[in-house]
Amino acid sequence: MKYMLLIYSDESDPRSAGSPEDMAGHVALAREAISHAAYVTCDALQQTPAATTVRVRNGEAVITDGPFAETKEVLGGYYVLDCKDLDEAIAYAAKIPPAKHGAIEIRPIMEIPGWDEMIGLTSPAPAAR
Amino acid sequence: MKYMFLIFDDEAAEGSRGEDLMPAYGAFGDEVTKAGVIRDGNRLHPASSATTVRVRGGKAATTDGPFAETKEQLGGYYILDCKDLDEAIAYAAKIPTAKFGSIEVRPIWEM
Repeated sequence: MKYMLLIYSDESDPRSAGSPEDMAGHVALAREAISHAAYVTCDALQQTPAATTVRVRNGEAVITDGPFAETKEVLGGYYVLDCKDLDEAIAYAAKIPPAKHGAIEIRPIMEIPGWDEMIGLTSPAPAAR
Repeated sequence: MKYMFLIFDDEAAEGSRGEDLMPAYGAFGDEVTKAGVIRDGNRLHPASSATTVRVRGGKAATTDGPFAETKEQLGGYYILDCKDLDEAIAYAAKIPTAKFGSIEVRPIWEM
């Protein structure tokens, strides 16, 4: 089953900026997941001052600066890993460097028949923009 | 630039995640496919299935449930490659859940 591992940390904590040791930890984790055919994808997000939240009400888009919710720890990145069970997902989560000062939320991904086709992921990869 | 679109809604609210939304999501999928901007997207199981992991003192501590209790919960996401934030906002407004939930748009670091 695929799991999303959401990385939350306090942006005001200097440890959340990502040290060279943390980067090495991410590379080691990704390589381990790749060697077990568990790696699907991962991304790092720009910090929350760059976030924009959009809501459509009465047909009008209402745009606010900042993330959806004001929380002390905020989403900074994520992994998607294909794990045999939740225990394996927890073992990977514990190896994500910010787990040492932040929190990793693990969310199972729904397997929806035909989903990839529905959202166009099975069509040829378009050229980079 | 790639943007992550985080889709939040109140999963307890009637109709928030019903099958009747699927045609609208199908239409959105068609649009982002034709525009060549789709990179990824997934729907998540409800937040009650979440597990949160923290490592303290070298030990992994797990708790059931999501990282934060919020009125609206993360239910899925897209990754789209947009030319700028304005284009990203225009797509966010077309995600069906935007009509009753919230879409958080986050630029992704290019590394």
